[in-house]
Amino acid sequence: MRSQAMKRLIWVLALSASLGAQVKLPPYTREVLPNGAVVYYMQRTGLPLVSFRVLVKGGNESDPAAMAGLASVTAELLRRGSAQRTAAQFSEQIDALGGTFGAGTDEQSTTAYAEFLSKDFNAGLALVAGALLAPAFPEEEVRKTLARRTDGLKTTKDNPGAAINSYYRSFFFGSAHPYGRPADEASYDRIRRQDIVDYHQKTYVGRNLIVIVAGDFDPAAAKARVTQTFGAVPPGAAYTFAAAPAPPRNSEPRVLLVDKPDATQTYFVIAQPGVRRSTPDRVPLILVNTLFGGRFTSMINDALRVTSGLTYGASSSVQMARLDGAITINSYTKTETTAQAIDLALQVLQGLQDKGITAEQLASAKAYVKGSYPTRTVQTADQVANVLGEMELFGLDRDEVDQFFARVDAVTLEQANAVARRYYRSQNLTFVLLGNAAKIRDVAAKYGPKVVEKQARQPGWAGM
Amino acid sequence: MRTILAALLLSPLLLAQQDVRTQTLANGMKVIVQEDHAIPNVAMYFFYKVGSRNEHPGATGVSHFFEHMMFNGAKKYGPKEFDRTMERNGGSNNAYTSNDVTVYTDWFPSSALELMFDMEADRIRDLSFDPKMIESERGVVYSERRSSVDNSNAGMLSELAEAAAFEAHPYHWPVLGWPSDIESWTMEDLKSHWSMGYAPNNCVMVIVGDVRFDQVLALSRKYLEPIPRREPPPPVRTREPEQLGERRVVLNKPAQLPIQIFLYHVPDAKNPDMPVLDVISTILSQGQSSRLYQRLVDSQLALSAGGGVGEALDPTVFRFSITPRSGVDPAATEKALFEELARLQSEPVPDAELRKAKNQMLADLYRSRKTIEARANLLGSYEVFRGDYSKLFTADQEIEAVTAEAIQRAAQKYFTPKNRTVATLIPEKPEVK
Repeated sequence: MRSQAMKRLIWVLALSASLGAQVKLPPYTREVLPNGAVVYYMQRTGLPLVSFRVLVKGGNESDPAAMAGLASVTAELLRRGSAQRTAAQFSEQIDALGGTFGAGTDEQSTTAYAEFLSKDFNAGLALVAGALLAPAFPEEEVRKTLARRTDGLKTTKDNPGAAINSYYRSFFFGSAHPYGRPADEASYDRIRRQDIVDYHQKTYVGRNLIVIVAGDFDPAAAKARVTQTFGAVPPGAAYTFAAAPAPPRNSEPRVLLVDKPDATQTYFVIAQPGVRRSTPDRVPLILVNTLFGGRFTSMINDALRVTSGLTYGASSSVQMARLDGAITINSYTKTETTAQAIDLALQVLQGLQDKGITAEQLASAKAYVKGSYPTRTVQTADQVANVLGEMELFGLDRDEVDQFFARVDAVTLEQANAVARRYYRSQNLTFVLLGNAAKIRDVAAKYGPKVVEKQARQPGWAGM
Repeated sequence: MRTILAALLLSPLLLAQQDVRTQTLANGMKVIVQEDHAIPNVAMYFFYKVGSRNEHPGATGVSHFFEHMMFNGAKKYGPKEFDRTMERNGGSNNAYTSNDVTVYTDWFPSSALELMFDMEADRIRDLSFDPKMIESERGVVYSERRSSVDNSNAGMLSELAEAAAFEAHPYHWPVLGWPSDIESWTMEDLKSHWSMGYAPNNCVMVIVGDVRFDQVLALSRKYLEPIPRREPPPPVRTREPEQLGERRVVLNKPAQLPIQIFLYHVPDAKNPDMPVLDVISTILSQGQSSRLYQRLVDSQLALSAGGGVGEALDPTVFRFSITPRSGVDPAATEKALFEELARLQSEPVPDAELRKAKNQMLADLYRSRKTIEARANLLGSYEVFRGDYSKLFTADQEIEAVTAEAIQRAAQKYFTPKNRTVATLIPEKPEVK
C-alpha cells in the first residue's frame, strides 16, 4: 500500500470539492416537526437502498466530567434490547433484512446510521425507531458492554498508532476540557445503568433530533411514516451546548512521553490551538492545510517521507468540531531517528511561518480540493446525508456546498498567508511521543522544560 | 416477523451489465469502461497481474517496493512530478500490492483524463531508477513494515501464521518482504521485476466515471497501444503440498491481550466452492446475529471474532481471527471456534439462517457499487481473479445457488484439524526495569 494516512486528511475537514462547474447539493426537503425534530428527505434513485441517519445533539461533550464515554456507551447499547425486542431479536431482524445498523459519537453528536433495501422501508424504520426511542438498556447488556470496552482499552494500548490519539487529546486539552477526557477504565467503572437511562431520557428528545432519510423511497409514504414515528417523541429540553472553555494555550512547550518498551518506532503528535467548525477562516485554512500536511505532496509529507525516507507517512489535520480544537502534525519514525524526524517537522512548520505559501502553491491547492470534492460530498446518498446533518448541527446553510467552489476561488494569497501565520505557529507547542522511553527520553527532553512520563500499560491516559 | 424469510428481489436491471464496454488493444492490454456521468470525476485503475507470488527468496517484497518506485520519476515526468502534476490538476492517487496483483488507482476530475493517460504511459514505458530515490524509498517501505508488522501484534502474528501454513508456495512470504530483503534489494531486482511484470499484455485498465468509451479508446490507442507487447511473467510452478497435520506456532511478545489466527487451506478464486465459503463466512461472522459473534463476543469470551477468505489466483487460506478477553484462556476460545466449525459439518444450516446470510450478501452487492472507485475495483478484481468482469453481474445467482448441503460438504472438506494452522500470540510481561 502506498499511503494510508493521507486519504483521511481532508476527510477530517468534513466539509470538504472539479475544476469544472460548481457542484450543488441535490434537491432535498427540510421540515421541523411540532416536537422540534428536524427531518430531511433526500431522494436518489439508482440503487434500491434507503438509509436513516439520526443525529442526537450532545455527543462526547455532553458526558458528565466523571463519566467520559457515557454518550458513546449509550449509543452502543441502543440495539441491545428495547421495549419491543431483545438484543438477539434486533440483530436477527436487521441481519435477515440484509440491513445495517450502527451508532457512535463524535465531539458534539451521536449518530445512528441504518440502511435497508427500499422495499423494507417500513420494517427498517420500525427497527431504527425501536432502538433509538425505546431502548430498554437491560442490566446484563450494560454490564457486558462496559466490561468489553474496558478490555478494548487494552487492545488499543497494544496498538500504538491508535493509542497515541487518546494520549494526545488527554494531554493537549486536559481533563477540564470536554475534548480532553477520552473514556478510560475509571470512567467506565463509574457508569451505572441508571446513568444511561437518564442520559437517554434527557437527550434523545424531539428538540435534539435531526433525522435524514436518503436514497430510493416513495416520498409521500415515507413522510407519513417518519412524521408519525419521530413526531411522537416528547419534545424535551434542547440540549444546551457547554459554554466554550478557554482553548488551551501553553505558556511554554509541554511534552508527554508514553513508554512502550517493545516499540521499534516512535509515534508523535505535535499539537497547537486551532479553530472551530464554523470559523470564517475555514476555507483558506482547508487550502493551507492541504499544502502543509493534507495531501501526498504536502510540505510535511514531502520532507519526512518523500525526500528523507524517515517515515511511511506524515500529515497534519485541523480538527473541525463545535468548539475550538487543535491543529496537529502526526507521524512516526524508527526509534533511532526520532529527533531527526521531529526536528524536520518543526523546521517545515517554521518554514511555513516564515515564508508562507506561493501563488502557484495556492492555485494547486484550490485545484486539488475542488477536484476531489464531488467524490467525497455528493457522490452517494450517504455523503449528502452526512453533509445535511452537519449543516443542521453546525447551523450552516446550503451555500456551504453550493458556494464552496466560489469561496475557494475567492481566497487570495494574502488571506491564505495570514491564516498560515496565525494558525501554524512554531512556539509553545504540545508534544506527545509514544515509543521506547529508555531510548528516547533524552530526545523528549529537548522539546520542553519538563517531560511528563506515562507507561502504556498503566490504566488511564495522560491524566495526572 | 416471518416475512423476513422472503428472498431479496434484486432488480434485474441493476445487475445487468450496466453499460460496461471493453476492448483489447493491439499490444494485449485489456480496457474496461463504464460510463457514469453523475459527477464530473473518473476512477482509473491499472491491474498488473504481478505480486509477491511472482517473487523469489532474497528479493521478497520487491513487487511492493516497485509499486512505490512507480511514483518516483520517469522520462517525461521526473521525480515528484507524477504526484505534483496530478494534484495540481485536481487528482489524487494510491496503489496497493497483494500476493497476486499490483494495482494503481487514480482519481481525478474528467478534465484531467488525457493528462492521466500521458503520465501513466510515461511511467509504464520509461520508468527511471534513480539510486537516490531507491535509498529514500527503502526507508519508507521499512517504516511501512514497522507500522503494519513490527509494531502491530496482529500484523506480526499474521505473518507468522502464513509462513507456517505455506511451506512451499510463495504465499509463504509477506507482501512487504522479509526485513533482510528490504535491506538488500538492488536496482537490478527492480529492473528485472519491471521487465517481468509490466508488459501491457499483463495489465487490465478499468475506467469508471465521467468519460465516453470512444474517447477512452482514442486515448488508449494514442498513449498505451504503442507500448510493445512482451512476455508475461512465467507461471508460478510451485504448488503447496497437501497439509497432513495440524501446525501450531506461537509468538511471545509484550502485549496486554492474546490474539489467535486459524488458517485452513482452501482453493483459488475460480473454484466453484468459493461462493459456498463466502456464505459460510457470512453465517459465521457478519452481523451481531452471526454464529461467532453470538458464541464468542456476546458470551464474553472474546473482544472480536470473525473469519473469511479473500480472492486469490492460487489456492489460499480461510482465516479466522479471535482476540480473547482478558482472563480467558485462549484454549477456551479455540474450543468454541472448533465446535462451531464442527456444527457446520454435522448439521445442515437451517433454511431461515441460510436465507438471512444470502440476504446480507445480496444487499452488500448493492452497497459495494455506490462509488465509481468501488466499481472500478470490483470490475478489475472480477476480471483478474475470476477471469471475466461480467461475472460480477451474475454474483447474485452464484450466491442464490448455494445450498445447505454444499455448506456442510465444504465445511467437512476444508475445516479439518489436519488442514489447519493455529497461530497464537501469548503475551509476555515486559522486563522489570
